[in-house]
Amino acid sequence: MKKISCVLLFLLIGASITWAAGTKKRKLPPYEFGSVTINNYSQQSGMPPVVFDHWIHRQYYTCRLCHVDVGFGMSAGATKIRAADNIKGYFCGTCHNGRTTHNKKAVFDSCAKEYSREAYNSRCVKCHEIEKSTLKEDQFFKFAQNLPKERFGNGINWEKAESEGLIKPIDQLEGVSINKAKLKIQPDFALKSKVEGMPEIIFSHKKHTVWNGCELCHPEIFMGIKRGATKYTMIELFEGKYCGVCHDKVAFPQSDCQRCHTKAVQ
Amino acid sequence: MNTIPYGKTSKQLVLVLSFILYAFLTTAHGQESWRTDFDETCARTTDAMSLSNNELKVLIAKCDQLQTIIEKQEETVRKVFLKRLQMCKNLYVYVLESKSASEKTPK
Repeated sequence: MKKISCVLLFLLIGASITWAAGTKKRKLPPYEFGSVTINNYSQQSGMPPVVFDHWIHRQYYTCRLCHVDVGFGMSAGATKIRAADNIKGYFCGTCHNGRTTHNKKAVFDSCAKEYSREAYNSRCVKCHEIEKSTLKEDQFFKFAQNLPKERFGNGINWEKAESEGLIKPIDQLEGVSINKAKLKIQPDFALKSKVEGMPEIIFSHKKHTVWNGCELCHPEIFMGIKRGATKYTMIELFEGKYCGVCHDKVAFPQSDCQRCHTKAVQ
Repeated sequence: MNTIPYGKTSKQLVLVLSFILYAFLTTAHGQESWRTDFDETCARTTDAMSLSNNELKVLIAKCDQLQTIIEKQEETVRKVFLKRLQMCKNLYVYVLESKSASEKTPK
């Protein structure tokens, strides 16, 4: 009897610890890092959810182009894209319309009111993924092999790839983007770390504005006006606030401390 | 059989066609006009920091005017352009507040 009580108690404690700690996140394979599943209306309409791969798109376009000019939200499902929106030439349909060309090839058409079985198998499933495709995995590794490497995320140092000219993301789309004056880049600045011995963060506006412009971050993500007035904690960042809106999800993970805490310790 | 004289019919036809054309052009121009206004208003986000407080206030007011027009557009256009407009307006407000705060801070 005593033995049974001990086993039950042990199981109860074990279950409580597991429940309290939550389930450990699965480390994503590089080709899945930055993938977003969009399922606002797909399954209601009898289609599998859309799996959007950031790596396929960010090699060609800046974050700003899609999240400002095209109007995509910054979290999965926030935009509530409907097939009708795409058909009208907005959101995915801005480029995926069968007319826009990329590298002299027409970008495939996104949605249609009616479609045949052949069209479903050849077109719809490109976005509405039924099952994981090994083809995509192969495409990723083929694409990544010549790009600068990184330890975390999807293993690509995107910032270096852009600055070295290995990728040239487009920031303007005719008929969609507004012609603007050249961006005057604000200077870099240091942010003091709260942990003693941890190098200060050097925040580079230059590195960020290449991809994001101004309005993607200000004031929606960073609303503080005076530098240093808003105190960020790493807990908040890991919860997906501030830097965590992009880093960990699409941009390199925040567990790569040395990418941000770069100022040499005196 | 009573027939309308040819001249009268063609006049009526021309009148109707002119009206349709006018209505079409007015709608098209209206659409074109708010898009042009939108492009002009939100074109200053890259140099917002160099604008004066007054210039920023004018742009913010233009954003408010555009909002009422965009709210009348069809659903998808409304969804896309209200978001875009909000982002650019928020940036102007942010820069204006930032400038005002730095002006108040004693050096």
